[in-house]
Amino acid sequence: MENVEPVPPPRLRELSARLFRAQGREARSRTPFSEQNAIAFLFLAPWLIGFFVLTLGPILASFYLSLTTYDLFNPPEWIGFDNYRKLLFEDARYFQSLKVTFTYVFISVPLKLAFALGVALVLNRGISGLGVYRTVYYLPSLLGGSVAVAIMWRQIFSYDGVINQFLLQFGIDAPSWISNPDYALYTLVALAVWQFGSPTVIFLAGLKQIPQDIYDAASIDGAGRWRLLFNFTLPLLTPIIFFNFVMQLIGSFQAFTPSFIISGGTGGPADSTLFYTLYLYEQGFTNFQMGYASAIAWILVGIIATFTAASFISAKYWVHYGDQG
Amino acid sequence: MAMEISRRRFARGTAALGGAAFSSALVPSRLAIAQAGERIRFSGYVESQEQLKQTLAVLEAYEASNPGVEIVPEFTNFSSFTDKIATEAAGGNAPDMFSVNVDLLAEYARRSVITPLDRFVPDPLDLSDYLDGTIRAATLDGKLFAIPNDAIAPSVIMKSTSFEEAGIAIPEQMWTWDAMAETAVALTEALGPRFWGLEDAGGNYIPCDVFLRSMGKSMFTPDHQFGFEPADLAEWYAYWQRLREAGGVPPGDVQALSSGGDPSTTGIVAGRAAMYISLTDSYVGVRSLIPDELLLHMLPNGFEGGDLVQHHYIYAGNSTAVWTESKYQDRIIDIIHFMHFVPEGIEIYYRGSGMVPASSAGLDALAASGTDAERHIVEYLRLLQQNPAPPRYPGVTGMSGMLRRANEGVAFGTLTPMQAAEQFVQEAGVRL
Repeated sequence: MENVEPVPPPRLRELSARLFRAQGREARSRTPFSEQNAIAFLFLAPWLIGFFVLTLGPILASFYLSLTTYDLFNPPEWIGFDNYRKLLFEDARYFQSLKVTFTYVFISVPLKLAFALGVALVLNRGISGLGVYRTVYYLPSLLGGSVAVAIMWRQIFSYDGVINQFLLQFGIDAPSWISNPDYALYTLVALAVWQFGSPTVIFLAGLKQIPQDIYDAASIDGAGRWRLLFNFTLPLLTPIIFFNFVMQLIGSFQAFTPSFIISGGTGGPADSTLFYTLYLYEQGFTNFQMGYASAIAWILVGIIATFTAASFISAKYWVHYGDQG
Repeated sequence: MAMEISRRRFARGTAALGGAAFSSALVPSRLAIAQAGERIRFSGYVESQEQLKQTLAVLEAYEASNPGVEIVPEFTNFSSFTDKIATEAAGGNAPDMFSVNVDLLAEYARRSVITPLDRFVPDPLDLSDYLDGTIRAATLDGKLFAIPNDAIAPSVIMKSTSFEEAGIAIPEQMWTWDAMAETAVALTEALGPRFWGLEDAGGNYIPCDVFLRSMGKSMFTPDHQFGFEPADLAEWYAYWQRLREAGGVPPGDVQALSSGGDPSTTGIVAGRAAMYISLTDSYVGVRSLIPDELLLHMLPNGFEGGDLVQHHYIYAGNSTAVWTESKYQDRIIDIIHFMHFVPEGIEIYYRGSGMVPASSAGLDALAASGTDAERHIVEYLRLLQQNPAPPRYPGVTGMSGMLRRANEGVAFGTLTPMQAAEQFVQEAGVRL
């Protein structure tokens, strides 16, 4: 049967026409300083003040500082782009921090997302006590930057840790994973993957949005479990995967606490866990070179912006939105 | 009534340390009436839980006898403290009073963050009895910028039970760097595997300074320059590399588990090492964590075939400085006075804290009635006082990290000793 739009009675039609005409007039007459906008700005004021004073101001100030030499106590002295030149052409530790950070990002983000997705798929199979599991799995994300985690990680991965005690039973004298430059960074990757709770919760929400009808129809057509996963679930979940990917990417570039707590703030051993932000912090607050630290920060802004933009460009080719044809 | 204490009276006030309890009600402070709502932030670093406990207790005792004064304690370990204080000071929000060591004092005095305190000496703070090295540690360019809270010195903490178990005699106090290496290797051979004679101190500033002084050099000079050539420092890194290869100290990955700021991570506490090079102020903290008998021993004072000359300086590892912009400078001096000169304050602040007072009278008092550990520290300091070495000169902040990084570079094979030395000189040179 053909769908027919209900026709409003004449009185309603007239009222509706007047209302829309009135709204059109109002919209045309509204200026940025109209009373209605002023009220809107009034309510927005806390955020606007916060943004312009607490966020934008320091952002611009940090760019200015990146062009100066500034030791925190004496007035900054203008040196142009010298900090950037020194960073890019003279500072070997800076490149070490870049290497460590890129390695961390490129390994931890895919692993964490894959693990989180796997757990979400398991939890989405209608098991009872889902709320409890969701909470339990989310806990590591909350504990991420705590001293307790640092101690626990040491208990697991140190020379006398749980893993090595186990290996010793078989006569294997394994290295100290957490303090060996060949392995230390990978213990931090393991820590990142262990904190899979946050993306898992988002994946779960996304999975719940996929209509059951699709699975029912595909099953009737003979699709098996893997075909359902690869041909239906994952494509329909790509917007969520993309969201999680971008958020994790940005967060991982900015990672600070894992290295800070595990290495005791040193980025050691031998700079093997020297995250970008840790090096920035060291330059600013240990070496009192805030101008230099600001330059490091601005390059990080550029790096994150580049990777985020690249992610959005690539999204056209692999992210499927429901409203697309 | 003010309790100004002469040397004799203070010695009697062993009082303090001898257990005589003074009721706080009987010991009013010099500033008897507090201004309404004085809120004083006191930030600092401590070497052990014991020191933290006693420091908090003495501040509470002061508050109890001075209604209207609130002291907000902000204490942490040294490595966390340095970054924290830098951030606060740079933001114009430094604590009213805070701990400094020789290097921090130089850094903040040059930047006018802390104020000279000469006007408070000798009245109310009579420091005439304080050990010379501690006063020097609190002085820069002839001005006193802090009040020394303790007297410390470099030492090797030795686990005597390990020596007994290995059948190795405790070495003479005056020994050589070569003898220390031989002893470390012998201990490892007797008690290993997974146990080493000595912890690697290649990334530690003070023993490096003593090593360089054994060569007739020093880390820094009084005019704040390097007191060595890169080749001298390369010899330091090479020494530890040889020891590492011989098995006298742990490999790099095991050593890297030990973070200087936390005694619980050291090899001697974790049961991996028999000797640990440190400062006397960590002795009580380490001792509280393990049941073994521990001895304080001198670092080596020379090389095989050369002269043995005592190179250990006594200095203040923890002094209290006053923020230039604090509104409560008189009150802060009164708090320091309470901690240093009022028997009740001394008793609480020092007893069992692992700190030994910077004054001769304080040392006498501890020798007479302190705990075993405290008496042992005093005995060791007195040994060093017999032939005092030139004082410790200020270095640069962050140099511990620079030294450690260079040493790790050698330990993990990414740097040669010479490259490590050049790296340190390049990094620290920027900060001079």
